[in-house]
Amino acid sequence: MRIVVCICQVPDTAASIAVADGELDLARVSWVMNPYDEYAVEEAVRLKEQFTGSEVVVMTVTEGPARELLQKALAMGADRAVELLAPSVQDSFRIASALAVSLRERYPQTPPDLVLCGKESLDYQNGAVPGMLAALLDIAFAGPVTSLAATGEMLELQRENENGTELLHVRYPVVISAEKGLNIPRKTGIRQVMEARKKPIETISVPDIQASLLLPLGFEAVSVKKSCRFAKSAGELAGMLLQDGHISAGGG
Amino acid sequence: MMTGMAEHYLVFLELRNGAIAKSSLDVWNRFQKFSSGRDSRVSAFAAGHAAEGAFDCLQGNGTVYHTDGTHFRTGCDSVVCAMIETLSGAERVTGIAFASTAMGRRLAAFLAGRLRAAFFSGCGGSGGVEKVCSRFIHSGTVIASYAAAADMTIFLQGRELPQPEFSSAEKPAIEAFDATPYVVGGIHSLLVHAVSQSCQKRDVAEASVVVAGGRGMGTREAFGMLEELAALLDGSVGASRAAVDEGWRPHSYQIGQTGKRIAPDLYIACGISGALQHLAGIRSARTVVAVNSDPDAPIFGAADYGIVGEVREVIPDLIGILRDVMAKK
Ligand SMILES: Cc1cc2nc3c(=O)[nH]c(=O)nc-3n(C[C@H](O)[C@H](O)[C@H](O)COP(=O)(O)OP(=O)(O)OC[C@H]3O[C@@H](n4cnc5c(N)ncnc54)[C@H](O)[C@@H]3O)c2cc1C
Repeated sequence: MRIVVCICQVPDTAASIAVADGELDLARVSWVMNPYDEYAVEEAVRLKEQFTGSEVVVMTVTEGPARELLQKALAMGADRAVELLAPSVQDSFRIASALAVSLRERYPQTPPDLVLCGKESLDYQNGAVPGMLAALLDIAFAGPVTSLAATGEMLELQRENENGTELLHVRYPVVISAEKGLNIPRKTGIRQVMEARKKPIETISVPDIQASLLLPLGFEAVSVKKSCRFAKSAGELAGMLLQDGHISAGGG
Repeated sequence: MMTGMAEHYLVFLELRNGAIAKSSLDVWNRFQKFSSGRDSRVSAFAAGHAAEGAFDCLQGNGTVYHTDGTHFRTGCDSVVCAMIETLSGAERVTGIAFASTAMGRRLAAFLAGRLRAAFFSGCGGSGGVEKVCSRFIHSGTVIASYAAAADMTIFLQGRELPQPEFSSAEKPAIEAFDATPYVVGGIHSLLVHAVSQSCQKRDVAEASVVVAGGRGMGTREAFGMLEELAALLDGSVGASRAAVDEGWRPHSYQIGQTGKRIAPDLYIACGISGALQHLAGIRSARTVVAVNSDPDAPIFGAADYGIVGEVREVIPDLIGILRDVMAKK
């Protein structure tokens, strides 16, 4: 099976991002692999273990070097990594376009069997790249999945909707995104990290072929601080909520 | 960007068990309200089984294109996308709007790729229908503003926008859309063949009241009182990641960075510390109430009302008092 996993790095998930002069100030943040992408890499590596002869390629579109991110994916068990250098990668459509162009070059005859992404990146939280990529590659998009079982011919997937869970069958090729619950990503040790160093990382510059469809106008830091009114008893709390109209005595 | 041209919005109406989903109806009303008195139009597209009178809830002008057929019950997004693409080309649509549901999110992203559309997801502010979008990024710690730089804009809207109030004496025209050309040989690369119902009757992301529990609930059984409180307030139950990781509630209940982002009118956090990753999910909640035994828990800094106390005492008391008040009504 030929599997491609699209990954990215995001600021540490507990980081509070500063804004200086209307621009994001990311100078002091530490970067980690996007948590949803960890599920995607883990699932790809499990499939590789299931189907001998499979290859897992991880790809990232990034403004600057993303060696640590790619090394981590390689240590988890990916075979090779591709770093796509592109200017300004805030726009989902540009990211999806860069991935699509590179995938078409790498797989000129038929698309890879499976393209795995994370459900969304925790920085911009658009969740748009996987669907856009499927559209640009002209293959099916199954959305975020919480369970995946593969045979040589098809995948059996589970995905959540507002009413419950859908069970679906999908033929290759397909783009899928990883939702929390899909698996528990493995921890990597010294040995895996050493082995990862021997694996190939390609760096490719993606020319600026696609204009942004969204133009950033500005950024503003948000204060989350609210002033909390404390109640001394459940009765007092209920009274406050009723009086301020947050609960109506008529129910609901 | 083509300026000066009249906007024509196409709202996707999601059908659930033959009825229009409430979240889709909100989107329709929002665009109708925005368009009334302006030089813009609103149409809608619905695919799948519609019960008798399903469209009666729609007010305003425009046309609702409806296509029925068993193949939509298989959940084939690509067929639906192809039809929307044709329709928006033929009708010179300038913006397509979806409710932020599991299906809406899939269709919106895929179509944005097909149509090279500006993708406006989770935008707050000016009614959500303008060509400028302000939205939370970085776990709700920053608001970013964007302008659309494409002829087509795709809107994905959830409860983060206020409930639209719209009424009109007009009714849209319902027109059948012929799906035959889109159904090729019955071979689908993707087939939904089973659906299992969740035990929760309303998803946390769609609820107007959410009562959530964290590790401080102590046990799975203690969630029973949260169910009771939620039922009383016609709300849904949610959970922190710690509670989900304990196995007390399934992942679909999780609120936060790696769970759902919710926007209820009232959020009650019980035994939840208020980690940044959790707060990321409740940035759009309107009123937040916290119940926690630790007076220094960060959740109080994000709450409008708080009570320092044991959940096992406070919640049953609260249930009892509210039940009395409601019984008197
Ligand atoms: C990549 C990443 C993503 C994450 N995503 C999410 C996410 O999506 N959602 C999420 O929630 N978390 C997420 N987390 C985890 C987050 O950092 C916290 O660990 C988690 O939110 C803690 O859950 P909690 O508040 O239930 O538990 P705790 O932090 O353990 O807090 C329990 C609280 O209960 C109180 N308490 C204890 N006993 C009682 C009692 N008897 N009565 C009243 N109060 C009591 C305590 O004072 C404490 O404040 C994420 C973490 C990472 C690293």
